[in-house]
Amino acid sequence: MRRNRFVTMAAAVCTAALVTAGAAACGGSESGSSGGGGEKTLKVGLAYDIGGRGDKSFNDSAYAGLQRVEKELNLEIKDLEAKDGETNADKVQRLDLLAKSGYNPIIAVGFVYTEAVTEVSKRHPDVKFGIVDSLVESPNVSSLLFAEHEASYLVGAAAALKSKTDTIGFVGGDHVPLIEKFEAGYMAGAKKVNPDIEVKVKYANEGSDGKGFKDPTSGKTIAQGQIDEGADVIYHASGLTGVGVIEAAAAKKKWAIGVDSDQYLTAPADQKPYVLTSALKRVDTAVFDFVKSVSDGTVKGGPTTFDLKNDGVGYSTANKEAIKDVQARLDELKKQIIDGEIKVPDKP
Amino acid sequence: MIGTDVEVVHAPEAATRPGRPAWIRLVLLGVALFVALSAVRVITGSDQLTSSGTMGAALGLAVPIGMAALGGLWSERSGVINIGLEGMLILGTWFGAWGAYVTGNPWAGLVAGVVGGMLGALLHALATVTFGVDHIVSGVALTILATGLARYLSVLTYLDVENAGASQSPPIKQGFPRWSLPGADSALGQVEAERWFLVSDLAGLIRGLTTNVSAVTVIAVALVPISYWVLWRTAFGLRLRSCGENPVAAASLGVGVRRLKYAAVIVSGGLAGLGGVFLSMVATSQYQEGQTNGRGYIGLAAMIFGNWRPGGLAAGAGMFGYTDAVQLRGSAVAVHALLLLAAVGLVALAAWQVSRRRYLPAAVSFAVGVAVYAWYATTDSLPGQIVTYTPHITTLLVLSLAAQRLRMPAANGMRYRKGEE
Repeated sequence: MRRNRFVTMAAAVCTAALVTAGAAACGGSESGSSGGGGEKTLKVGLAYDIGGRGDKSFNDSAYAGLQRVEKELNLEIKDLEAKDGETNADKVQRLDLLAKSGYNPIIAVGFVYTEAVTEVSKRHPDVKFGIVDSLVESPNVSSLLFAEHEASYLVGAAAALKSKTDTIGFVGGDHVPLIEKFEAGYMAGAKKVNPDIEVKVKYANEGSDGKGFKDPTSGKTIAQGQIDEGADVIYHASGLTGVGVIEAAAAKKKWAIGVDSDQYLTAPADQKPYVLTSALKRVDTAVFDFVKSVSDGTVKGGPTTFDLKNDGVGYSTANKEAIKDVQARLDELKKQIIDGEIKVPDKP
Repeated sequence: MIGTDVEVVHAPEAATRPGRPAWIRLVLLGVALFVALSAVRVITGSDQLTSSGTMGAALGLAVPIGMAALGGLWSERSGVINIGLEGMLILGTWFGAWGAYVTGNPWAGLVAGVVGGMLGALLHALATVTFGVDHIVSGVALTILATGLARYLSVLTYLDVENAGASQSPPIKQGFPRWSLPGADSALGQVEAERWFLVSDLAGLIRGLTTNVSAVTVIAVALVPISYWVLWRTAFGLRLRSCGENPVAAASLGVGVRRLKYAAVIVSGGLAGLGGVFLSMVATSQYQEGQTNGRGYIGLAAMIFGNWRPGGLAAGAGMFGYTDAVQLRGSAVAVHALLLLAAVGLVALAAWQVSRRRYLPAAVSFAVGVAVYAWYATTDSLPGQIVTYTPHITTLLVLSLAAQRLRMPAANGMRYRKGEE
């Protein structure tokens, strides 16, 4: 009996230790904190969306902006990553931690932070917050918004011009209004240059829990399916899931179109020739401009929209061989959008 | 003595399975299903249902689920419930990618992933077999631990690596070799393109399963019959299964129950680890947090669906992989065509129940079948929200239909202590 009790105790302790170790290991990451020398007046904090650094797309673009901040403005930076399946409370805690540790400004990357920023910005009225992709009404929050549909319109036109089968594909991440904006713009751009074009649309996830942005296995399968049904250009707006889309397209020697970052630059060498272009969303510019405005003291609360006009969005011409024959037409469309002659829809 | 043991182990199964052997019925059911599928393909004209692309994708999606299910089989046949499969799958994805990244050799990654899964299993065995912790508690803790550990290790190893971070490894450049059956691709491709009833579908099936197949897929598929052979045709397997049926009786015959349970759980972890390796190195080419996406649990469901038998769990994994492939590739139209198949299946089920003189269940099946057909006939496609969950809905339906006929190992999940009744 005594031995039994000992074993039970030991087992309970073991299990408790396992659980604590598991929870403790879920902490955030830290990188590139102060490197000595120079005057560092501001400490800049940044919290990533799901997918995190290394997604070769949205988050990496934010990271590029942060690196520019460190280099050009010589400020201290700290970035924290989100973890899989976290709750809103985790996000609040992450932002709160940054604010309490003296980070100001703080940038939250992604619409998933909407509620967290709303809450934490009230708690720390002296701290400047920036949120990417979401509108938060608060005097100390700057909302960094993008006209993704305008960039998507241009790559949609590029896809339709390049397609030989009159069939193109779109792969979305989570089925949320933000991603529908990409779909709407892409569809409109494609129909503008070829009214008869067929666009295959598929979202990797119908929920809004972020799963659709980190499932390259699904991305690959969806893209293969669209290619088998005749699509020869596929655009993705799905974060890491898109890695699978580009892989599948390159394997079948079809065109892929990247998103957010210039994915021609980040693709493996054997896939590069098949990345036609990317719909650029200059999160890096937005992050840099926001931090700069804080350090200049010119920062304003409220929304700032980055669109074609101020080069906050655009399309990439890094794959010169592929894009050069349609570039003139795309620039013409771009000008028409800037001049207001074309109104790009933001809902499908 | 051994002879008596065989009877003890087999008697309950024999009692619930009259008539033809289980595997023949499974094959017959599979053939019937395929013919029906082919007919539905012809009627609805959605060629994606049986195209080689769909079949190839189905195989790829089924492998990680099947490996988790096979892992579950080993563990549960020895009497240890393994809900920690998800955690072992996670360890497999992380260590697989890490091994390949560090050495530049995919096979080293495979070994690392399998060993990673085994280490997780060792912990589970230690908790459940040695310390007698509740199997569910230990399994859940293991999954939580694996999630945290993978992240912790990523932070340690990948933070300053380009294109990587706390939630993913850098891309793995060296992949496993891929094989195709010589000549099958072109010859069967022509047959498939003809769209003949059954013949083209069969060509699509064979072409999908024999073209551009990864070495890991071949190993994974081979492990199913190998597991059957080891567990049902060797003395080691018999002793292992006796631990899951009646460990006290087994021990009285001199079987080393604890040792065998340890062995079974560790093999289980190795198999789940292999499933993880497939996810991070074949299905994609990098480790990512959350990549397993609950496949460990689906594997467990596939194993239960398969009645704790290798053939059954392979069928379960295949079904899930197939429906997932159809919904991902063929979109709403192909899934809509599957409605017709469901309607036909339900009516057939009703007829079978009438032949067994079970009139009430027959009436219910028939009514549901007609309702599904009406749904099919009055719509052109399904809403995207439903389409995405096709595999889950199908699994749930089939599992609920099959649940009355399942029998798990008698001492599964029970705590065993030497010298205690």
